[in-house]
Amino acid sequence: MQRGLIITCPRCDNATEYLTYYSKSIVEEAEKRSIKFKEIHNKVLDMTNFSEIVTTLDYQMIVFNGHGSKDSIFGYKDNIIIQVGKNEDIIRERIIYARACNAAVVLGVECMKNTKNGCFIGYSIPFVFFMDESWISNPHNDNVAKLFLIPSNMIPLSLIKGNPTIEAHENSKKQILKNINRVLRDKDKESFLVAEALWNNYIGQTIIGNNSAKLED
Amino acid sequence: MTEEKDKEKVNEKQKEIVIARIEAQLPSNLKLSIGSGESLTKQEMIKHVEDGDEQGKQIMNMHINFIKAISSGKLAKELSSV
Repeated sequence: MQRGLIITCPRCDNATEYLTYYSKSIVEEAEKRSIKFKEIHNKVLDMTNFSEIVTTLDYQMIVFNGHGSKDSIFGYKDNIIIQVGKNEDIIRERIIYARACNAAVVLGVECMKNTKNGCFIGYSIPFVFFMDESWISNPHNDNVAKLFLIPSNMIPLSLIKGNPTIEAHENSKKQILKNINRVLRDKDKESFLVAEALWNNYIGQTIIGNNSAKLED
Repeated sequence: MTEEKDKEKVNEKQKEIVIARIEAQLPSNLKLSIGSGESLTKQEMIKHVEDGDEQGKQIMNMHINFIKAISSGKLAKELSSV
């Protein structure tokens, strides 16, 4: 297995546009640290060509941005790219961050069965975030979305820096709590609803597999 | 039968509370990304909760989980850890 990162970047709606935008800093960090990476923007990506990419490159880390279900993750629109019972074996020994709804429930558990070095960080309930419509064309300025996506980005960024999976997971969760504290202190009209959504991601974020797995040198 | 009716009443009451909070607290420029599909506007969120569909249930669960965390003291405990 090679020290490297595969990141899926579908851009099929506002949510995946945001996830793709916030993935730029992940790729930049990988580049800065001379870690090989492959961004997948392919609209016709399906399970077969995704499996080919993963097995051919054999990179240790994969970040999935996209919609998900309990047993699968989608690429562009409703194209399933990884699914239990089909191709989950290809990620068993890798470090996975699935920024997708529900995928930790079945996919995370199944793909990490009997793993030695693999680890799956994902969500056991829907991953949610608020976005400010005024900034949809410029997500960088969206301070509401940042409250959700920066703690989430901390997982792959921490892994790229060489930290173990458990540290990446816990630091991200701590940041969510800090953000909840912050929004509740701000006492804006929407504070309670935003805190509620942040709490959702906090309780849903799950780690399965090898807690001390690291990106190899 | 009575138990089912009671559950239904509680569910309806919870829906009313969630809808009232979204109406009162959510600025119309904010959209929620939840589950598959397009992000939801304030009015769409309300509609899903009213209809009790999958996304509506997810919004309700988000609310219930937060209220439970407040009432059990779990939220305060976790927040004081950072």
